[in-house]
Amino acid sequence: MGTDRSRLLQGTLDLLILKSLALGEMHGLGISRRIEQLTRGTFQVKPGSLFPALHRMEAAGWLSASWGESSANRKAKYYALTRAGRRQLGSEAAEWRKIVAAMTRALLAT
Amino acid sequence: MSAHTRLRALWRSLFRKGAVERELDDELTAFVELLTAEKVNSGLAPAAARRAALIEVGGVEQVKEEVRQVRMGTAVESVMRDLKYGVRALLRNPGFATAAMVALALGIGASVAIFSVVNGVLLRPLPYAEPERLVVVLHHGTDPVSPANFADWRRLNSTFERMGAAEYWTPNLTGEEAPESVLALRITGDVLPLLGVRPALGRLFLPEEEDPGRDRAVVLSDGLWHRRFAGDSGVVGRTVALNGEPYTVVGVMPAGFGFAPFWATGAELWAPLALAPRANSRGGNSLRVFARLRAGTTLEAARSDIAGITARLDREFPGSNTDVRIIPLTERVVGNIRPILLVLFGAVGFVLLIACANVAHMLLARAAARQKEVSVRTALGASRARIVRQLLVEGLLLSLGGGAIGLLLAWVAVRGLVAFGPASIPRLDSISLDWTVAAFTLAVSLATGVAFGLAPVWHATRTDLSAALRDRGPAGGGARHHRLRGVLVGSEFALALVLLVGAGLMVRTMAALQRVDPGFRAEGVLSAVVSLAGAPSAAPERRGPFYDELVRQVAALPGVTAASGINHLPIAGDHWGMPFVPEGKPRPRPGEAPTATYRVVMPEYFATMGIPVLRGRDVTAADRLDGPPVVVINQRLAELHWPGEDPIGKRLTLGEGGDGAVWHTVVGVVKNTVRSEWAAPAGEEVFLPLSQNQSLLRGSRAHESYLTLVLRTSGDPAEMAPAVRQMVRSLDRQALVRGVETMAAVVARANAGPRFYLAVFSSFAAIALVLAAVGIYGVMSYAVSLRRLEIGIRLALGADRRDIERMVVGQGMRVAAIGGAVGLLAAFGLTRFMGRLLYGVGVADALTFSAVALALAVVAFGACYLPARRATGIDPLRAIRAE
Repeated sequence: MGTDRSRLLQGTLDLLILKSLALGEMHGLGISRRIEQLTRGTFQVKPGSLFPALHRMEAAGWLSASWGESSANRKAKYYALTRAGRRQLGSEAAEWRKIVAAMTRALLAT
Repeated sequence: MSAHTRLRALWRSLFRKGAVERELDDELTAFVELLTAEKVNSGLAPAAARRAALIEVGGVEQVKEEVRQVRMGTAVESVMRDLKYGVRALLRNPGFATAAMVALALGIGASVAIFSVVNGVLLRPLPYAEPERLVVVLHHGTDPVSPANFADWRRLNSTFERMGAAEYWTPNLTGEEAPESVLALRITGDVLPLLGVRPALGRLFLPEEEDPGRDRAVVLSDGLWHRRFAGDSGVVGRTVALNGEPYTVVGVMPAGFGFAPFWATGAELWAPLALAPRANSRGGNSLRVFARLRAGTTLEAARSDIAGITARLDREFPGSNTDVRIIPLTERVVGNIRPILLVLFGAVGFVLLIACANVAHMLLARAAARQKEVSVRTALGASRARIVRQLLVEGLLLSLGGGAIGLLLAWVAVRGLVAFGPASIPRLDSISLDWTVAAFTLAVSLATGVAFGLAPVWHATRTDLSAALRDRGPAGGGARHHRLRGVLVGSEFALALVLLVGAGLMVRTMAALQRVDPGFRAEGVLSAVVSLAGAPSAAPERRGPFYDELVRQVAALPGVTAASGINHLPIAGDHWGMPFVPEGKPRPRPGEAPTATYRVVMPEYFATMGIPVLRGRDVTAADRLDGPPVVVINQRLAELHWPGEDPIGKRLTLGEGGDGAVWHTVVGVVKNTVRSEWAAPAGEEVFLPLSQNQSLLRGSRAHESYLTLVLRTSGDPAEMAPAVRQMVRSLDRQALVRGVETMAAVVARANAGPRFYLAVFSSFAAIALVLAAVGIYGVMSYAVSLRRLEIGIRLALGADRRDIERMVVGQGMRVAAIGGAVGLLAAFGLTRFMGRLLYGVGVADALTFSAVALALAVVAFGACYLPARRATGIDPLRAIRAE
C-alpha cells in the first residue's frame, strides 16, 4: 500500500475507494483515476494495492461487483457501493474528520 | 452482505477455485487493456502503450496472489471468528447450553429410537419378492386349516399364482454334537417359491419330495448353517439326523431370510410336508396356508373366489369351512402391533415437541437477556447480517450438540428396545438405528435452534435501539417474547399432561395385571420340557415308565417338595382346543361342539402347581389305561355345562360324539388357571391322566413325544435346573431338555408387553415432566427478573412479601393451569387410542386423570415457588439502584 509520494494511512485507501464510488459504479482503472483526480494526484493507487482492497471490501459486503461493458466496448468488472458500503463511508468519513480535527488541533497547539 | 452471499463466497473460494481464478484473470486482463487504451489515446504507439501498462500494473501474478490471500483470509477468518465467538457465548452460560442440549438430546434420542422401531416393524417391507401380493388364508384370519381344505382350495382357486401350507415342527437335531431341539417348519413345495426367495446354496424342494417316504430333505437357515455346520459350503448333500431319522441337506437360505413371519418366527430349518396320508382329513387343523395373488388380481377378487369355494365345501362338509379369511401377509404380521406402535409414535412425537418448545423458550429467554448486547453491538456498527450470522452459529452449535448427544442416546435406546422389547413385536430383532429418521429429527432440532436462536434479531431491528439501551429492561419485544414463552410453556404442560395420563393408565394397567390370580402359585415352581423324539426312551413300552421314573427321581431330589408333568404348561406351552360333548346333551351340529383346552397331566400336577382341587380328586397312578377313563375339569367348564349341579360322576366325551365315543367320568374340579394370555377370561379346560393317554404314551409324531416337567422347590427353583438336566441325561442320554424356566419367569414374560409399554410411557412422561418443570421455572425466574424494579418498589412501599409471592406463583400457575386444562381435554380425546394397551382400567379413568392433574399442579407450584421466594428476597434499595 503506498505511492511514491505518500504512504496511505491504514484505512485511508478504503475510505478513498468508498468515496470514489459514491457517485456511481466504476471499474478498477476508473476507481484508480478517480482517486487521483479527487486527491489532485497526491495518491496514485497501484493495482497491487487496489485489487486486494476491492476484493476485501467486496467480501466485507461494502461493495458489489458485476461485469459490464466499458466505454471502449471492453468487458470490465464494475464495482458499486452497497447499502452497508454507504453506511461505512459515512462512519469512516466521520471518523476521519474527527482524526483530522484532533491532529490539526494537536499540531496547532503551542 | 447477507449470510447467504457470504457463505456463497466461502463456497466459491474453497471449492470453485477455477471460476474465481478465471474471473480474476479476466478482471486484470481488462484492467491492462483499459490502461493500454488510455495510453494509446494519449498518443503512445500500441506496443509501447501495452508495455507501459504492464509495467504500471507491476506483475499480474503478484496482484493475483495478493487478491487470493485476501479472499481466502476474509472468508475463512470470518467463519472461524463466528464459530469461536459462538462457542465462547455458549460457554459463558454453560448451564443454559447444557440444559438446552440435554432437552434436545432427550427429545431426539427418544424419537429416533421409537421412529426406528416403527420404521423397522411397520414400514419396512417383508423380505420377500413383491410382498404386497402375499396373503394368508386362515379360519377367522388366525386359525389353522385342515389338510383336505387346503388341498381343495389349492385345486379349485383361480386367483392365486401359488398356494402353500406350513406346519409347526420341533424336531431334535442329533448327530456328532449335543442333541438340540430345533424350531422348524414342514412346508409344501410351493411355499419357498411363492415367497420368491432363492437359496444361497443348493436348491429348494422338488415336487416329488412331497411324497411320503421321499420327504427326507431339509433346507437350513443361514443361522443354523453357521451354528451347527460352521458355514461349510459342502453341507449340501450331507445327512443330518432329525428325531433319529436321516435327512439330506438340499439347500441353505440366505442370511436375513426368515419364515414364517408371524408365527414360528425363529424357524431354522424347513422340511417337505407330505400331506398325502392326511389328504382327506377335515379335522386336525394344523396348517397355515400362504398364497401369492396372481399378478393383477385384487384381494377382493381372491376373496370372492375363496368365498365361493368355501361355501360349496361347507355345504358338502358342514362346519368344515367356516369363516375362511384372506389377509395380506403384512397385515397379519403387523396388524396387531400397529395401533400400539402408533400410540408410542404419537407419544414420542409429544416428547420431541416438548423438547423443541423447551429449547425454543430457553432461546427466547436468552434472547431477551442478550437484547442489550445485540443493541450495543448494532449501535457500534455491527451490521445486522453479522449479528444474524452470529446468532445463527450459536443456534446451530446448540442444535448440533444436542443432536449428537441425542443420536448417541438413540443408538443406546434402540439396542435397549431390541434387547428388552416384548416378543409380541414382530421383527424387533432386525431393527437398527434408522438414519433417514435420524436426519429428519436432527433437521427438526436444527430448525428449532435456528428459528428461535434468531429471536434477538427481531428485537434489535424492530425495536428502537436507543430505547432498548436506555430502558431498564427489554422493550416492547421483551413483553411479546415473554407472552410467547408463556404459550410455549403452557403447551409443554399440555403435552406433558397427556403423556402423564398415558403413563398413569399404564401404571393402573400393570397394577390390575399384578392382581390377576393365575389360579396357580408361580413362586417356587420350575418347569422344563423333556423331549424324547428320536431317543430310545420314546419307544412305546418305555415311554410311560421313563416319565414315571423321571418324576419319581426328581421329586426325591433334596429341596424338591413335589413334581409332576403336563403336556402343555399354562401360558408358556401350546394350547390345543378339543371339541367335547357333555353326556345327556344333544349331539351338536358339526363344528359347533364346545371346545376345551386339552391338557394331559401326571398325578400331583395340581399340588405341584398349587392349583386347588375344589371338588373330587386329583388324577392318580390308579387311573390305568385298562381302567375306566376319567377326567378332571376346571371350574369354568363345570359352571357352563353343569350349572348348579355336582359335576362329579358326570361324563363327557372328547371329539364330536357319535358312535364309538369314549366317555370320561369327571372325578375332580379344579380352580381356573390362565390359559395362554395373562388376563384373558378363563376358558373351559379338561385334564386327562397321562397314564390313560394312548397318544402321548405311544404316538410317534413329534408333538406326542415330549412332556413338560414341573417341580415345586423349597428354595430358589432356578438352582434346581442343573440337577434336572443331569437327571434327564442319566436316564436317557438322547433325551433332550429345553425351555428350563421358572414359572415366575413365565409369568413375567406373559406381562412383558404391558411392562415394556409402561417403562416406555413412564420414561416419556418423566422427561416431559422435567422439561415442563424446568420450563415454567425458567419463565417465572425471568418474569421475576423483569419485574425486579417493580417488586423492589412495592417492597419498599411496604407490600407484604406473601402478596408478592402469591402474585408470582399465581402468574406461573395460570400458565400451568391453562396448559393443564388443554392437556386434560387432549388426553380425553387421545387416550382412547390406548385402549388396546390397557387392562382393568378405562381410558377415561377419573383417578388417573385427577392424580396426574394434581401431580402436575404440585410440580408447577414448586417450580413457581422458587422464583417467587427469590423475588421477595429482592433488596428494594439495590433493585432500584441497579437501574
